[in-house]
Amino acid sequence: MRRPLINRSPLPGMALSAGITLTLLSLVVLLPICALLLKGATAGFPALWTEVNTPRIWGALFLSFRLSFIAALVNLVFGVALAWVLVRYRFSGRRLLDAAVDLPFALPTAVAGIALTALYAPNGPFGAIAKDLGFKIAYTQWGILIALIFVGLPFVTRTVQPVVEEIEREVEEASATLGATRAYTLRRVVLPMLAPAAMTGFALSLARAVGEYGSVIFIAGNIPLKTEIAPLLIVIKLEEFNYVGATAIGIAMLVISFAILLLINAIQVLSRRRIGYV
Amino acid sequence: MSDTPTTLKSKTPQAHRPVTTESPGFRVALIAAVIIFLALLLFAPLVAVFAEALSKGAIEAIKSLANPEATSAIKLTLIVAAVAVPLNAVFGIAAAWFITKYDFRGKALLITLIDLPFSVSPVVAGLCLVLTFGANTAIGGWMVAQAYPIVFALPSIILASMFVTFPFVARELIPVMIEQGRAEEEAALTLGASGWRIFFTVTLPNIRWALLYGVLLCNARAMGEFGAVAVVSGKIRGQTATMPITIEMLYNEYLSVAAFSLAAVLALLALLTLTLKTLLEWRFADQLAAAHRP
Repeated sequence: MRRPLINRSPLPGMALSAGITLTLLSLVVLLPICALLLKGATAGFPALWTEVNTPRIWGALFLSFRLSFIAALVNLVFGVALAWVLVRYRFSGRRLLDAAVDLPFALPTAVAGIALTALYAPNGPFGAIAKDLGFKIAYTQWGILIALIFVGLPFVTRTVQPVVEEIEREVEEASATLGATRAYTLRRVVLPMLAPAAMTGFALSLARAVGEYGSVIFIAGNIPLKTEIAPLLIVIKLEEFNYVGATAIGIAMLVISFAILLLINAIQVLSRRRIGYV
Repeated sequence: MSDTPTTLKSKTPQAHRPVTTESPGFRVALIAAVIIFLALLLFAPLVAVFAEALSKGAIEAIKSLANPEATSAIKLTLIVAAVAVPLNAVFGIAAAWFITKYDFRGKALLITLIDLPFSVSPVVAGLCLVLTFGANTAIGGWMVAQAYPIVFALPSIILASMFVTFPFVARELIPVMIEQGRAEEEAALTLGASGWRIFFTVTLPNIRWALLYGVLLCNARAMGEFGAVAVVSGKIRGQTATMPITIEMLYNEYLSVAAFSLAAVLALLALLTLTLKTLLEWRFADQLAAAHRP
């Protein structure tokens, strides 16, 4: 038997809440996204392909994705370590660290961008040290990487933290009584329990980094083929009034973010099947 | 014979370390690594913002904030937040009520669509708005003819800020309201309360801290949004330049003190948001969604 579309409920306010929800959702989110897809459809696939199929745009898309991937990997390692430290260890300043993890969520991206540039530019304190070592950070891919690590930092920690809190110590004790060393227990018992949450955090951090604009453009230097990220190209195309070009890159990026979203869902479904919870 | 007790004695201290923790050396190394990582990446930029703003003294920093360009940017950002945040709060409450109080098909799809803005790049969001409401589109062209342009004007900045902060309040409320169920509202209904009375006297007290939490995050993000606003605003000085956009323009003109002073204002807002958020988490953890996430 088919479920009815809507189950009757005695609680009032259904029409009102549904009306507000669907109207605002359509106006603010769905209509604009449909406009992008419609623009793509009217231009036609060949036109979009010619726009995207240039070395500069492939370069930017590839650069964005590659650096985002590396940044997400760094965040994966440090995020898991940070979550472990925050939950399991007791030291002064722990609560301050815990609160500070959310700073990249709260600090506007443009502020983060100019602050990181001030630090890592050749005349900044960290940049000067790097310069003495014959190394340049800002205005190179290293600079972009640092900005992307910054914006993706909280995701892994915040998804892994609740899972670490849930781990039952008995499991680790059982492993120890069976003769496992601490390192072996961590690797074979604890890590597999953290893996699904860590992977979800990794994917969230990746998705955020691929689309990031504000914190990157200041530190990147924006040299075509070298330090030019994909979102910047959309802005450039729009400034040239090349709407088809902007649409083509926009759709390419939308496809990448949906692919990552699907990945997150797949991880959650798989891990639910294996462990029963995420 | 007398050897045995001594060996036992020397082994006892080691046995005191629980098997579920790492060796002290490892712990110290891990804590140190994490603190260094966060110091270089999180704390240093925060310090840099204030250091650069105050590099020519506090008077210079405050003077740069009194400059008409800066004041108009602050005003605009406040106006945008004053419109976008309440609208998103109303949306969040309505969506959470609709999703948690009724059973209907397509609920999972609706939740996915509400979460959609989180996975869309802000620049792509801005592009979508330009393609919907720009002067050369049907809607945008008509609005321009009525002398109310949307893109490169205030409405598009509000829409862009709403787009990027759209899920915040709803996401915070939905888990809390699922947890609380419908029994209390239904009891109020049987006692003859009207819909609004149920909401204000039963539901709202239960969700107020979660609502405040969501509104705080939404506000911080709305005031600081850069990518989406950069695309739709047109960056007209004194008219459509919000605080983050003005920071970019000042920075690109090498007006470092002015740029960082404005940035410091936004950084203070971020610190205030984090502080309030942390206080809420300590005080009302049981009433926030963060505590209910699996």
